[in-house]
Amino acid sequence: MKKVKASPCISCGKKDLSKDEVGINLKLIGEDTENFYCLDCLASVLDVGVQDILDKIEEFKEEGCTLFL
Amino acid sequence: MVIYADNAATTQLDTDAFEAMKPFLLENYANPSGAYSYSKKAKLAIKAARKTIAECINAEPEQIYFTSGGTESDNWAIKGFALSDYDYKAVITSQIEHHAILNSCYDIERLKHPVAYLPVDRKGVVATDTLNRYISDRTGLVSVMTANNEIGTIEPIKELAQIAHSHGALFHTDAVQAVGHIPIDVKVLGIDMLSASAHKFNGPKGIGFLYCKEGVLQPFHNGGSQEFGMRAGTENVPAIVGMAVALRKNIIEMEQNAKHLRRLSEELLSILEASNVPFILNGHPTNRLPGNINLSIKGKSGEGLMHMLDLKGICVSTGSACDSKNQQVSHVIQNIGLPDDYGIGTIRISLGKYNTEQEVKRIADILIKLSSL
Repeated sequence: MKKVKASPCISCGKKDLSKDEVGINLKLIGEDTENFYCLDCLASVLDVGVQDILDKIEEFKEEGCTLFL
Repeated sequence: MVIYADNAATTQLDTDAFEAMKPFLLENYANPSGAYSYSKKAKLAIKAARKTIAECINAEPEQIYFTSGGTESDNWAIKGFALSDYDYKAVITSQIEHHAILNSCYDIERLKHPVAYLPVDRKGVVATDTLNRYISDRTGLVSVMTANNEIGTIEPIKELAQIAHSHGALFHTDAVQAVGHIPIDVKVLGIDMLSASAHKFNGPKGIGFLYCKEGVLQPFHNGGSQEFGMRAGTENVPAIVGMAVALRKNIIEMEQNAKHLRRLSEELLSILEASNVPFILNGHPTNRLPGNINLSIKGKSGEGLMHMLDLKGICVSTGSACDSKNQQVSHVIQNIGLPDDYGIGTIRISLGKYNTEQEVKRIADILIKLSSL
């Protein structure tokens, strides 16, 4: 897995995105993405609940996805 | 509300099939091999189901063997051939078969049976010229799927079977995606063995059948004398009954369903084409399963799109997956030679007879939005 230095949230500018926030952007949008969203903005742009995304993150972690390490 | 667009994975059980199954779960649950009168209804139901299924593919009832599904049927066809072939003749299959075929072939290779894996063209077609190049009089079996489960391409089965027969080889087809969706006549097509699975045509899960001409295979399951002594084990009567009802209904409604699915597919593709989403429709442009839309979107992650669609309540599948370390593109997508920047972005939308125009519009609109992220 390549090391990624995430930019601030493209939508609200939040800096220092958490490991889970970076991981879920890479997982959903793609490992080459340069646009990162914080959890709240990702939920907003997808028009889903924050909890739905947190559930997905847990699912990926349980599957051993290294993007969340 | 969930939009289910993964009908190549499984389909909704038809309500008529479900109703037909119920009495054999609750009232007439006797073992059909029982010698008492109470078993008679189950025994007759199996007989009637076998006749119905045979009629649906223009076979004889005694050529239909009930199995647990497509995977077992495929295993039986490939390994059954190898077990009954003492001359170690070669098997020829294609590189884009389902893993039930491919893994069975890898298994018989360990038993020293030579196996060749035919390449396909960009549309996923196994060309007759290709088979002609590989086949010889040392070939015992050719197995090519009727229609591909990922990209929907329908293969030239009749022509391939003719080539196999001209070299004295048997012809098997994995028709799991095709039965109940496109016309199948085993006599016209010249098929010696055919695998099918009920849950792909609105029947129950855990049941399927292998059509097999007489004298071609040895028993695969050993035990009792069920299935003409060829496949031992107490029959799954409710599932057999449900499969027959579902298949007959799908055959009757085939033309109407295909028309509906083609219209929905055209609608979805026209919305995508009108957008700026750079995509490729994989598989044969016209000779493909109705309702199969396999798309590769440039620069996107198919797995990511699938999960985002899931968050939006839309079920599709992907042609790429993360194995926790790397993004892997499916063997089918790899073998059709798709450019790398498209391959990873592959998703399969497989519509079924219950999908609506409204659902298709929603899928297209959301896919366009997600592709812009």
